[in-house]
Amino acid sequence: MLATVLTKTLRDRWKGPVIGAATIGLFLLFGMAVYRDIDLAIYTDLPEAFRALTNIPADAGVGSLAYGAIYSSYGALTLASLAIAMGATSIAGEERDGTIGLLLSNPRSRTYVLVSKTAALVLLTALGALILWGAGRIVPAALDVETTGMQVEALLLHMFANALFYGFLALAIGAWTGRGGFASGATAAVMVVSFFAAGLLPLIEGFENVARLFPWHYFEGSQPLVNGIDRGHLSVLLAGVVALVGIGLVGLNRRDLRGQNAGVTLLDRLRSNPMTEKVVDRLAGSTRVSRIWIKTASDHQGLLVVTAAVMFLMMGVLLGPMYSLIDESLIGFADDLPEALLALFGGGDMSTAEGWYQLETFGLMAPIAVMVVTVGIGARALAGEESGRTMGLLLANPISRSRVVIEKSYAMVFYGVVVGFATFAGVALGSLLGGLGMSAGNIAATSLLMTLLGLGFGGLALAVSAATGRVKAAIFATVGIAVAFHILNAFLPFNDSLAGYTKWSPFYYYLSSDPLNNGMNWGHGVVLSLLAIALIWVAVVLFDRRDLRQTG
Amino acid sequence: MQNPIHTSDLTKHYGDFAALVDLNLDINAGEIFGFLGPNGAGKTTMIRTILDEIRPTSGRASILGMDTHEQSVEIRRHIGYVPGDLAMYPNLTGRDTLTYFANMRDGVEWGFVDELATRLDADLSRKVGDLSSGNRQKVGLIQAFMNRPDLLIMDEPSSGLDPLVQREFQTMMREVAADGRTVFLSSHTLSEVQRVADRVGIIRHGRLIAVEAVASLRSKAIRTVELMFDSPAEASVFEAVAGVRDVTIDDHQVRLSFDGHMESLLAAVADHYTLVDINTEEADLEEIFLTYYRDGTD
Repeated sequence: MLATVLTKTLRDRWKGPVIGAATIGLFLLFGMAVYRDIDLAIYTDLPEAFRALTNIPADAGVGSLAYGAIYSSYGALTLASLAIAMGATSIAGEERDGTIGLLLSNPRSRTYVLVSKTAALVLLTALGALILWGAGRIVPAALDVETTGMQVEALLLHMFANALFYGFLALAIGAWTGRGGFASGATAAVMVVSFFAAGLLPLIEGFENVARLFPWHYFEGSQPLVNGIDRGHLSVLLAGVVALVGIGLVGLNRRDLRGQNAGVTLLDRLRSNPMTEKVVDRLAGSTRVSRIWIKTASDHQGLLVVTAAVMFLMMGVLLGPMYSLIDESLIGFADDLPEALLALFGGGDMSTAEGWYQLETFGLMAPIAVMVVTVGIGARALAGEESGRTMGLLLANPISRSRVVIEKSYAMVFYGVVVGFATFAGVALGSLLGGLGMSAGNIAATSLLMTLLGLGFGGLALAVSAATGRVKAAIFATVGIAVAFHILNAFLPFNDSLAGYTKWSPFYYYLSSDPLNNGMNWGHGVVLSLLAIALIWVAVVLFDRRDLRQTG
Repeated sequence: MQNPIHTSDLTKHYGDFAALVDLNLDINAGEIFGFLGPNGAGKTTMIRTILDEIRPTSGRASILGMDTHEQSVEIRRHIGYVPGDLAMYPNLTGRDTLTYFANMRDGVEWGFVDELATRLDADLSRKVGDLSSGNRQKVGLIQAFMNRPDLLIMDEPSSGLDPLVQREFQTMMREVAADGRTVFLSSHTLSEVQRVADRVGIIRHGRLIAVEAVASLRSKAIRTVELMFDSPAEASVFEAVAGVRDVTIDDHQVRLSFDGHMESLLAAVADHYTLVDINTEEADLEEIFLTYYRDGTD
């Protein structure tokens, strides 16, 4: 049974780590190929603080730069996210699907099931790390890039332990609560906070040691690529993993298993309280179901609230005062930063507040945040109702398939607008609090372009969802295409003969006009809007044509 | 008036697999039509095709005179539907769910909804995800009945219902038919169909193999006949009669299965023996059904 649960989990889950790690491997290939053609002299002048942040040694070469930029950030975040996805659904996923009862009706204990899931999580994360290691060795050899002195194995081992830590945090939360969405959301939040804290806190005087409180510090704080394995840091992560497995075991064994119940939300409690019943009943009941798009929007409210809150507070309000605290010396060196590296994070001149916010918020995090909600809704809007087997019932009503697609796209637009507005409000407030004097109009313009970019990719997810009826296909295809376009947009400008092709990437129409400094570029806004509208139209056409799927 | 459901040569293939083959069917207004077949026979495929969830490979279908694809939205104003393997939104209460669907139909008569809920003993205040499958099914039934549709299409609607609720549900179906409206009831629960349906269609491997009135099916059915004579009987006499099989003789008493008009059996035996007593056990649809399937595999 241990072997059975293990092999079944491996069989169900192997694609994620393989695709994720292979994609990062391809980015490494692309990154090294581009870095190879750049004049590396500028790296010798890099400020020490920045080198430490990005794992670039003093004698930075093509190899270390590419490893630092692609593996230490993208690679580590991807591997950890995959582990979180697996960990969160290890136990809670079986409860959600209603299969846990069947599984445990066999003569095996809960402990056995959890240990099987643990083994699967370790093996699958190792598989991803192994592919990254293979790519990390093959790519430089193929491109003839010098990697002497770089300890890729040490980096990968740290990355593996780091990913396991977050995977098991999600598993432990899932084992205690039986709620997969909560487990992955909470762990992802911990990961993102920890990633930024470990990177940014050392830049602020007097806060260097606070970084130790965040697990990400034990992944890259010791610069394993340069300094090799840090046994101390590694054992902190692994001790955390062991502790989390123990916590998960205790949690799973002591609680009642969840059926496929809907669970009780805060609104439900308010709804059953006589004091608040009337108002809440209207909000959670009749208003919620008054339109398809409102119901769709209410179904994923947790995702929206968390994403908007992160953008408003962390990526907006907090970063303003932080900018005024950051070491002057770092900002002074901003002119010397390698553009190719900054380009991956959206570029930005750190000597100005606009550049700071572009690098920290709008460059990478904002598009990710808005896409989390628009792609999330777009992918689930149609395919989710099909896999939930409710589409047949919905379409037994006198509404056309086109109207369903249109209503679902309203929900997507609503989500994009909320996240866009939260980002605008957060950054504007941050600028105010930090006394940075940024233009509110320009912040609004950038947030608007960001929302439109998100709607473009949301439209793509909706179209794939409409064509295939498969949530995962829609998410994977859209994320893959978005990441590819982002990388192209970041690297192509460095090659004069290819620079013109950046116009084929939707990301070009987001930041290339530097809206934080120059304000709204309406032409770019129109391009992104037309893209979104065209893709929603494609979704309408494709959805109208095909047979609905009967099961998930 | 147009037939509530009409199909002509309706065919649906999934790749190489023929799920539905040349289905020709006409349902009459005001009848309860039982659509019988074992799992995987094509019942659900037929329903999903006429509801425009999936598109026919060839052939056509119409509901209430309207093309099932071209006029699918208009059609849905007039139908109520209970899908097989019913799923609903787990985080909505029963009443929220009904409100959601009612909003798509320009409202509903809530008094009637409450009446249906009382009759089926349904709790509409709880979240659908917290309900047992039978109680969830009740919400699905109310959802289908609440708009007083001209045509009810239901795929295995009584699954999970307890016997008392099943009986009430059958009464509700009869009321719909008595009102001149139509019920299309897909089922493998033969006893239910036998109790409520006027006609049945039997589908097997995607092909409609018979459409009969329940009454006439019965008359054709194989029944068990027991005959008592004043003298010992010989099996050969009975086996010579068309439609007779499984003859067992116990001295003066004969027991056999018979599929045909009773008159021919009686005429044949009267030449040889004097009949003292006769007893026939009426066959139910179960036996008819099994017979069709046995014959189909021959």
